[in-house]
Amino acid sequence: MNKVKFYSILLFKILFYNNVIYSQSCDYFLKGKILDSHDDSNLIGAIVSIQGTNFFSQTNFEGEYLINGICPGDYVLVISHPNCKTIKKNIILLENKDVNFYLEHHINELEEIVLQESKISRLRKSVQEVSLNINEVNSYGSNTLEEAINNIPGASILKTGNSISKPIIHGMYGSRVGIVTDGFRQYDQQWGPDHAPNIDFDSFETLQLIKGAAALKYGGDTSAGSIILSSKRKIPKDTLLGRSSINFESNGRGSKINSSLEKSYSNGFYINGDITGKKYGDFNTPNYILSNSGFEEASFSIDFGRNQINKGWNVKYSNYSIEPGILKASHIGNIQDLFYALNSKQPTIINDFTYTVEAPKQQAKHQKIIFKYFKLIGNNSKLELGYNYQENKRKEFDLRRGGRTDIPVVDLSLKTHILNASLSGIKYEDYNFEVGVNGFFQDNFSTPDTGVKRLIPDYYKFESGIYLLGDYKKNNSFLFEWGLRLDYVAYDSKKYYYQSDWQNRNYNVLYQDFELYEVFNQILTNPKFNYINLSAQTGISAILSNTSKVNISYILSQRAPNPSELFSDGLHHAMAAIEYGNLGIKTETSHKFLVSFSKNSKRFNLLVEPYISKIFGYIFIEPTGLKQTIRGAFPVWTYDNTDAFLTGLDLSSKFSISEKLSFDFGASYVYTQDLNDNEPIILIPPFNSYQRLKYISREENWSFEITNQIYFKQTRFPDSNFIFDFIENGNIVSKTVDISESPPGYNRLNAVFSTDLIDQKNIKSNLRIIGQNIINTNFRDYLNRMRFYASDLGRNIQIQLNFKY
Amino acid sequence: MKTFLKKNLKYTFLLGVIFFISCSKDDPDAINEQEYISNVIVTLASEDGETQTVDWDLSEMNSQNINLKVNTNYNVNVSFINSSDPTDVENVTLEIIDEADEHQVFFEFAEVSVNVSSASNDTKVGSRGVLINSVWNASTTGTGLVRLYLVHQPTNFNATTREAMGGFNDVSIDIPVSIIE
Repeated sequence: MNKVKFYSILLFKILFYNNVIYSQSCDYFLKGKILDSHDDSNLIGAIVSIQGTNFFSQTNFEGEYLINGICPGDYVLVISHPNCKTIKKNIILLENKDVNFYLEHHINELEEIVLQESKISRLRKSVQEVSLNINEVNSYGSNTLEEAINNIPGASILKTGNSISKPIIHGMYGSRVGIVTDGFRQYDQQWGPDHAPNIDFDSFETLQLIKGAAALKYGGDTSAGSIILSSKRKIPKDTLLGRSSINFESNGRGSKINSSLEKSYSNGFYINGDITGKKYGDFNTPNYILSNSGFEEASFSIDFGRNQINKGWNVKYSNYSIEPGILKASHIGNIQDLFYALNSKQPTIINDFTYTVEAPKQQAKHQKIIFKYFKLIGNNSKLELGYNYQENKRKEFDLRRGGRTDIPVVDLSLKTHILNASLSGIKYEDYNFEVGVNGFFQDNFSTPDTGVKRLIPDYYKFESGIYLLGDYKKNNSFLFEWGLRLDYVAYDSKKYYYQSDWQNRNYNVLYQDFELYEVFNQILTNPKFNYINLSAQTGISAILSNTSKVNISYILSQRAPNPSELFSDGLHHAMAAIEYGNLGIKTETSHKFLVSFSKNSKRFNLLVEPYISKIFGYIFIEPTGLKQTIRGAFPVWTYDNTDAFLTGLDLSSKFSISEKLSFDFGASYVYTQDLNDNEPIILIPPFNSYQRLKYISREENWSFEITNQIYFKQTRFPDSNFIFDFIENGNIVSKTVDISESPPGYNRLNAVFSTDLIDQKNIKSNLRIIGQNIINTNFRDYLNRMRFYASDLGRNIQIQLNFKY
Repeated sequence: MKTFLKKNLKYTFLLGVIFFISCSKDDPDAINEQEYISNVIVTLASEDGETQTVDWDLSEMNSQNINLKVNTNYNVNVSFINSSDPTDVENVTLEIIDEADEHQVFFEFAEVSVNVSSASNDTKVGSRGVLINSVWNASTTGTGLVRLYLVHQPTNFNATTREAMGGFNDVSIDIPVSIIE
C-alpha cells in the first residue's frame, strides 16, 4: 500500500469514520459513493463538501459518503481525494439524493513487478489473473514475453529457435490464446506455431494474463486464456516524463534500446512516443553457434489524446517490424533428411558468427491505428467507442533454386477492421452491468508472385459479437458474476485445390457447391462457412477470512476453426511435413472449471489454482500417413476434431524470511488426454517449477536474486513416429524416424543484480547485471520446435542501464 | 431499471455498427509452381549402342525399370522437367547447371552394386562432377533399386553416403533396377 493512501486512511479512521460533521434544521440528505473512474473501485478517504458551507463528509471503506440535514437549494459540490484531481459538480437538491461520483485516480509509480489489484482494472473478478509491470519484467532479461511468462506458473512459451516465441496458457496456444493491446484483439496470422505475436511488448505498461476465456469483452473463443497489454495511464498534470533503457548481451552479441517520452497537460491533453530497436547476431548454445539465428526488430508508436474526468479520446499509431533468421540446419528436404538431423549430435551446418540473416528467414510488419472515445453518462455509466485498423504483412523465405531465394515462399497480407462499443457501469441496486458489441471484418490476400502454392488462401472473414456482463456484490466479501456472449463468424474464401487432392478427399462430392471452375490440373473453389458461437462465464469470489480468498469460475467457450485448420495446404520445411486443413472441421466447445485459493499474510503468500477442462471437438493436427513426392517421402499431417480432457494445477508462493530476504516458489503441471484416440496431446509443457531467493538492501538501494528453473522430461506425448526405408551399405533398412520423444529434463540458473546509480528528483538511473543460464546447462526444450536440430541457448550475460527522467 | 437500460442501450446499439458485407473475393490467379519438378528422365546409352529412357512421372509416382547388362558401361543422363503447365514445359536441368556450385546428383543403390563415375561430358565445378552425365557399370547381376537424389546445398559434395553429404533433397525418387548377364 502506498504511503498517501495509508495516511489518508489512518487520518480518516481517527477523525471522521463515516460521520456527519455538521447539521442544521433542514432534513434532506445527500449520499452516494465516490469511485475510481478507471476500475470502479471504491475511493476511501475522498472528501465531498458543499462549497460555501461547512457541510462535508469523508468516504468510508466502501467509498460511501453521507451529508445529512441539508436545506433544499442549488449547490456546488467539491469532491477531492489526495490521489485525484478535484472536481466540482452542480447539484439541485429538492429531495433526498443518492449520487455517485467518479474521480480520475492518479497512479503512483509502480515499483513492484506484480501490481496490487487495486491499481489495474480487473477483467473478471471471479477469475484469478496475473498482472505484471512490463518495465519490471524487463529486469529479468530483454526478451520481454519470455521473461514475463517465466514469472507466471501455468504459462509457458512455444519457441521456434530463440527469436520466435508465442505464449502457451494451460498447454494451449495459437488461436486459443487471445492477445489484446489497448482494448483490441491482435490479428497477425496467429494460427501458426512459428508465428510470434507481432507486438512490441516494451511499449506497454502492464501485462495481464487470464487463464480461461473470461475476457468476454474481447471475444469468447480463446479457451486457453488471454494476455491483455495496456498502455500507461496518462496523468492530467503538467509533466514531461521520459524513460530509456539499453541492454548489452553476450549471447547473440546484441543490444536492445527502448525509449519513451510523454508530455501531459493539466487540461488532459497528452502526447506520448515510444521507440524500440533490437539487433542480435547468431546466438550460441554451450558448445556451438546457432547459424542464422540472429534477428532485427524495430518498432515505434505515437499516441495522443485528451483524458478528462467525464470524457476523453485518443489516437494511437504503432508500427512493428521484425526479421528473424531460422536456424540454417533446420531447412531440410524430406523425412530422410529429418532422420539424419535427428541422428546428428549437433546441427549439420555451423558457420562462423555473423550478424547477417539469410534465408530461411521470416519478415513481419504490423501496423495499427486506434481511435478511442469515452464518455461518462449520468453518474455511473461509461460509454466507450473504438475503431481499430490493423495491417499485417508476413513473408517467409526459403532456400530456393534458380535465384529465387529472394522471392518469399509465403507472402500474406492481412487487413483487419474492428469496431467496439460498450456501455459499462450500469447499476441497479447491488447489480452491475456492462453491454457491448464488436464488429470485425478481415481480408487476407496471398500474393501469387511467390510461385509457390498458397499456404493460406485469399479470404474474407466477418465477425460480429454482442456481450452482456453482470455482477452482484452484496458486500466486500462476496461477489457473484456472470457474462454471456454471442458471436457470428463467417468465412468467404477463394482457394485452388489440385484436382487430385479435391477428389482424393471426396470434396468433389461433399462440397460440390463450392466448385467454380477448373484451370488445367487445379480447381478454383469458393468455400463459405458460417458459425454461431456462444460463450459464457460465471463465478463467485468470496473472502473467507482476513487472509484468505477463493474464486470459483465456470467458463464456456466456443471457437470457429481458424483459416489454417480449414484451408492449410503446404509444406513445412523445418518439420518436413505436409500440412492439410480440413473443410469438415467443426466448432470446438470448451468447458472449464477454475478455482483459485489465495492466502496473504505478512510473512507468507500462497496462490493455488487447480483447473479442469473438457473440450468437445478439440481441433488438432495429427499424422495421417506418408506422402510420396518427387522430393521423397513426407509425413502428412491433417487437422481433425477430437474430444480432449485437460486438468492441472498452478501454484505460486512467497515467504518473507526477513525484511530483506524472501523466497519464492512456483510450480505447474498439466495433464491432457485425447479421448478419442486415447493418447496424450502433443506439445504440452512438462512439469516445471521455479525457486527464487531475493535479497534487497533498501538502505543501499541494491538487490540480488537467484532463480532456479526446473523442467522435467515430458513423459506423456503421442506417438507420431514414421517408419522409413533407408539405403545403407547397399541394403534397404527400415528405420523409425522418432519425432515424438521428448528431450530429458533440465534446470537453468539465472541471477540478477540491480543497483541504483543516480536517485535524484528529476533523474533516476539503475544498473542491472543479468545472468541467464549461468552454469551453461546444455539442454533441449520440448516446447522448442528447433529441438530436433540443435540445443537451446547457453550462458548469456546482460548489462542493462535504465533511466527515468 | 428497464427504462434506464433502454435509455442507455440505445447509444450502444446505435453506435455499434455491425458489418454485414455480402461481396465476395475476386478470383485469385492460379499459381504454376516455379520450382516444381514433375518428371525425372533418365537416359541410358550402353557402349554397344542400345538406349533406354526411363521417365519418373509425378502424376503416376513411378517409372519403368532400368535394365542393365553386367560389366557394361552406360552413359547415363539425368534431366529434370517441369511439365505442370503443358503449354510451357520447362527444362529445370538448365537451372541446375547454372547453379552447379550448389547442386549434386547422387545415386544410392540397394541390393545391386553399380559403380558410378562422372562422364566426360558431365557438368563440372572444379574437379567435381555434378553427375548430370555419368558412367555406370554394374559388377554383379540381380534386382534392386536406385535412389536418385538431387541434393541442394550439400555440406560435403564428395561424401559417399547421403547422410554424410548434408544439404537437403530437391529430388529423391526410387527406380527399380535389374541387372542381367
